[in-house]
Amino acid sequence: MIKNYKMEPVIERNSIPSLLKILSSDYSIIAPQERNGEVVFDDLKDPECLVLGYKVTILPPKKYLFPPEEILFTYSGKGVRTPSITSKKLLIFGLSLRDLEAITQLDEIMSTPHPDYFYWKRRSRSILVGVTDESVHAPPGGDLILERMDDELYRAIPLTQAGKKIVKGRFFKKQDILPHKGEGNQVMEELRKLLLDPETLAEAVKWSRAEGHPVWEELGKRCIGCGICTYVCPICHCFSMENSVSLDGSTCTRCRKWDACTLPGFARIAGGYDHHPSQKKRYYNWYYHKFVRGYKEYGKSQCVACGRCQTYCPARIDIEKELLGIVKDYREACG
Amino acid sequence: MKNLYAPIRARVTRIEELSENVRLFRFKKDRGRFAKNHGGLTFIPGQFVMAGVWGYGESPIGILSSPYEDSFMEILVRKVGVVTNALHRLNVGDEMTIRGPYGNGFPISSFEGKDVVMVSGGCGIPPIAALIEYIIQKRERFGRVYLLYGAATPEDILARKRLDTWGRHINILLTVDHPSPEWKGHVGLVSEMVKDIEINPLNAVATMCGPGPMMTALERILRPLGISDRRIYVSLERKMQCGIGKCQHCVTGDSYVCIDGPVYNFDEIDKNWD
Amino acid sequence: MQREAKKLKVGIFDFTDCEGCQVKLVSLRERLLALLERVEIVNWRLGQEKNRMDRFDLVLIEGCPITQDEIDLLKLLRERSTHLIGFGTCATMGGIPAIMDQKERAKWYNKIYGPQYKPRGIDSLPLTSYVKVDFLIHGCPVDENEIVRVMEELLSGKKPAYRGYSVCFQCKLAGNPCRLINGKPCLGPVTQGGCGAICVSGGSPCYGCFGIRDTAQIEGLLDILKGMADKEEIERYFTMFLRYTKEYNEIVRPFMERENG
Repeated sequence: MIKNYKMEPVIERNSIPSLLKILSSDYSIIAPQERNGEVVFDDLKDPECLVLGYKVTILPPKKYLFPPEEILFTYSGKGVRTPSITSKKLLIFGLSLRDLEAITQLDEIMSTPHPDYFYWKRRSRSILVGVTDESVHAPPGGDLILERMDDELYRAIPLTQAGKKIVKGRFFKKQDILPHKGEGNQVMEELRKLLLDPETLAEAVKWSRAEGHPVWEELGKRCIGCGICTYVCPICHCFSMENSVSLDGSTCTRCRKWDACTLPGFARIAGGYDHHPSQKKRYYNWYYHKFVRGYKEYGKSQCVACGRCQTYCPARIDIEKELLGIVKDYREACG
Repeated sequence: MKNLYAPIRARVTRIEELSENVRLFRFKKDRGRFAKNHGGLTFIPGQFVMAGVWGYGESPIGILSSPYEDSFMEILVRKVGVVTNALHRLNVGDEMTIRGPYGNGFPISSFEGKDVVMVSGGCGIPPIAALIEYIIQKRERFGRVYLLYGAATPEDILARKRLDTWGRHINILLTVDHPSPEWKGHVGLVSEMVKDIEINPLNAVATMCGPGPMMTALERILRPLGISDRRIYVSLERKMQCGIGKCQHCVTGDSYVCIDGPVYNFDEIDKNWD
Repeated sequence: MQREAKKLKVGIFDFTDCEGCQVKLVSLRERLLALLERVEIVNWRLGQEKNRMDRFDLVLIEGCPITQDEIDLLKLLRERSTHLIGFGTCATMGGIPAIMDQKERAKWYNKIYGPQYKPRGIDSLPLTSYVKVDFLIHGCPVDENEIVRVMEELLSGKKPAYRGYSVCFQCKLAGNPCRLINGKPCLGPVTQGGCGAICVSGGSPCYGCFGIRDTAQIEGLLDILKGMADKEEIERYFTMFLRYTKEYNEIVRPFMERENG
């Protein structure tokens, strides 16, 4: 007889707040919580405020590894001082599978061609715990994933030593697990499928511009260049430097700040020449990076279909629909 | 792991005022000399440094001095923005900041055994100057070498003294648009000098600089000479912030000008959408 | 590092306004003291007793020049200053005083004071309508960190730069639900950032008091607003602070006229 179940570590839903309370003595816990009717990642002061089974958060957890604004060095005449990052270790709890996948991608991006000192200072001091309603076949990253079995029970899938250590704790027990079919994530399901063929996506996006597909003219008009799609993207990582001399003239500081390629000035050089002079070009560049250059560099699209760019676009640009349309037209035109 | 965003201290040792807005800066490292690679070069001609001033930021600027020189480097700074204005306020002895050298540089080893045609105008001389210094040191390894250099007026010709030195080793064809009474040389477009060039186009490479003269150079000099687009090298200028392939500002097509460039063959950039 | 050996001579003046931006200046506290190490304030009516009219390296002007005296003083200050900077939205764009409607005002003057009354106020236009202004520190009120940033840039000899991003940057960081997505008008996407998105965080719309951002996609925003507000309401949003901007006159007004036609 084939045994179709096995003993696996599980944790009860009710025990999760207690687990987090214990972990908070070693880690600063970041977890999804409700604020003004939206779910956001924030410091978890009260484990009871934890929100699980949410659809999407406004900002992705990248803000803890690659903060919106951070000092790269200060200089005071004596020498360069790199700020030390010595706060408590981070435990980011409740990441979706797609956010875990995005951090796996960021890890690769932030290692190529040279490791980014600041990203890795934080990343190497952080533990990632995913929580999902989907069934986990190929874990996309992180240290531990909790897969929801039913309202009361989560299966624990430890992926690293750190994850295993957590699972050894007293809130986990071993139990027979029957094969389980998760609920699936309803967000951008069609784009998700497209991402499995990043080559076609890359070719289609490239083709659409070369062939003068009208979609870019239209989106160039609709995009208001606010930058939101890049801020909320879990993979977007462009930045600008800001240099300042303090009011008293004693200290010089270089700070890096999230930038957005959809903003004017992103490709403008001193003297005024702009390499991306129209909103159409700037908006296309965002797609080009994610689906063409990203594919060329890493062999996959820089997108995990988390749905944020679409959910939070004030112009309500349906990015999934536009991409599906481009790919459809490309297939029809190029067979 | 290193903080690659923090520059090193350098000291300005010489400033030459080349025109109202252009100055040459010579600088040395605060401590020690510039490191040499296996070929004995401190950088590859065509590479650039992120040069700056504490608190003001930094700009990508091509290196002009000889790649064999390890006690100093030289750059030309045209006053256009916050950083270059801050650089122009520096005096000899002041501190500046340096990161790099960055970028690919010209594929210099592939230039050996070939004729070389270099076209430049106005401010575009730095990467070509470094290349000439490199070629002169190993002059016997290259075929016929030409520098075609055009400027608005004789005063706009940068690095006149160097031109005299280079002229002993390579062919220099100068032209100006508006001659002064003393000017004895050529007047008119750089392209009119094509007839004075004798090369074997099938065994030649070319370099050209800077957006203004680039297309003219390509259409009216290099292509008529019979040099293929893949052997014509161009140095691109883009906005840069990190210099190490992270920040995304300098992208063109599928490549990062800061690491895959700034030198491209013309065929490569011709295909890019931006 | 480059340090000015001589202290900059600074004048701070106010025209018609609520003086709230000067309160922001005072609330810099320790940072104001640090600033005073580098500058000499030779004229500040609200801040000190002894003032003189001198030549100024830097003049900050708060408020909207409304009376002839204010307009004359503005022109004099321009002559006597190297850098003249608008401080707060009343100075940079007309601000609160500029919300007034000239026709309505004439009607009410007549009704309240009678036809003999000669109003002192001429018009409520931004500083730039009268003189060349070197930089505009927008905001109703101005933001403390932005004051410090602009001062740092001026003191280190940089040409101050406007923020290239929208209010949306800090609004997303604050975790605010997007007003536009929820069908409520907001000018955040076309407005220069740096304010900390305090209005939206506090439950109000953004009316653009930080000025219009570089190369803002105003037509795109108008298309979005059209779907959630009538013409009068859109007009009200854009005339709160932006009535005297080039963008309002060249893009918003023609758009409204097209919509009417």
